[in-house]
Amino acid sequence: MIELSIEKRLAFFTLRAEFSVDAITAVLWGESGAGKTSLLDCIAGLSTPDSGWIRLDGVLVFSSEDGMNVPTRDRRIGYVFQDYALFPHLNAEQNIALALPPDQRWRAMEYLERFGLGASRTRLPQVLSGGEKQRLALARALASQPRVLLLDEPFSALDRNTREWTYREFLELRDELRISVLMVTHSRCEAETLGHCVIEMIEGRTSPVVQQDLERGFQ
Amino acid sequence: MPQALVPVLISLRVAAAATLITLLVGLYLAHLLTRKRIRFGTFWDTLIMLPMVFPPSMTGYLLLLLLGRRGALGSLLSLFGVQIVFTWGAAVIAASLVSLPLMYQNCKVALAGVDPAYLKAARTLGMDEGMIFRRIILPLAAPGILSGLALSFARSLGEFGATLMVAGNLPGLTQTMPLALFSAVEGGRTNEAQLYLLVTIALSFVVIFIVGHAHRQSRAYREKGR
Repeated sequence: MIELSIEKRLAFFTLRAEFSVDAITAVLWGESGAGKTSLLDCIAGLSTPDSGWIRLDGVLVFSSEDGMNVPTRDRRIGYVFQDYALFPHLNAEQNIALALPPDQRWRAMEYLERFGLGASRTRLPQVLSGGEKQRLALARALASQPRVLLLDEPFSALDRNTREWTYREFLELRDELRISVLMVTHSRCEAETLGHCVIEMIEGRTSPVVQQDLERGFQ
Repeated sequence: MPQALVPVLISLRVAAAATLITLLVGLYLAHLLTRKRIRFGTFWDTLIMLPMVFPPSMTGYLLLLLLGRRGALGSLLSLFGVQIVFTWGAAVIAASLVSLPLMYQNCKVALAGVDPAYLKAARTLGMDEGMIFRRIILPLAAPGILSGLALSFARSLGEFGATLMVAGNLPGLTQTMPLALFSAVEGGRTNEAQLYLLVTIALSFVVIFIVGHAHRQSRAYREKGR
């Protein structure tokens, strides 16, 4: 569950976001440069809003009124970046091991296998295919045991064919995860087929939440 | 052991100690001045880089004024019965000071070259700042730091002016290779002089090889990052 009401002055406009989503998958949809990534960064604590509050799964992580700002590492956020930001000096297994709590490092292989990366265990991220990189980034984000998963354009770096079956994988995973997912996209089609609810963002402002009936589309 | 080899060993010992000191100091200063907001950053930066353009003999004289018996630091140390000037330690201090800019500059470029996206990712994964430094920043900056190490070692090895000023030219104690070379040529001991030349050529070759290798490695990291 993600609830927030924040304001932050950006270079070209002011980010004014306010919503409360309890759905499994909420999609934040808008054109490039509408402030979607800035909003994700605020939720993750990578940038600080000028005012407002953010609550994740009922836990207050930011409040300008109370002068409260929980650091990113304690927010329990899983964040899949648009370019994945996989550590280039570490292989697939090490990338995941770093995200696991120290006493659970040995479980990295479990995550690799769950995401079909067992054979790529000792490969460096840069030799993986686009689809494999995306799955590794997702596996790494989930290994940190997040209570909220943020996905920034997770499909935009993939080619058309890979994207088709990655959508299917995503839908399966989403039903299995049981944590709130907030996904950012600029594609209307993605927003409509993948989100339980959609929030539109225009020049930093969020629209009211629109609930969706997901019986159509890819399923 | 042949007498001629003594300066080689002194040089290697002085350069190794100086390189270790510049690594710790240079890396710390570079980290401080790239990652944190420091007041008068440009001023400190300039101060650290000063020995690069300062004539080494002047640096040595400055050290002599500071560390000598009547110097600000020297008089304080002599209260405890410690004398630095004209000792092995003075040679290390001189070499450290003149090679610090090389180490600092290389570390700074290497640290600044680590893509902030990796640091953001590491924070969302729950890593604390110390772990991020050890597991992400250091390995990614390692090629640049290695090249700083090699250049700093070479600069320490070649130190002449500042060492002569503050540590003297005492055979078996502070007489490093460049100083011994000067004495050997002056005294007409050609074989000895040419030995130092050969050793220096070999060491320089290794250093440039390491720098080249480090350069290729860091470029590879940058290209494959995304």
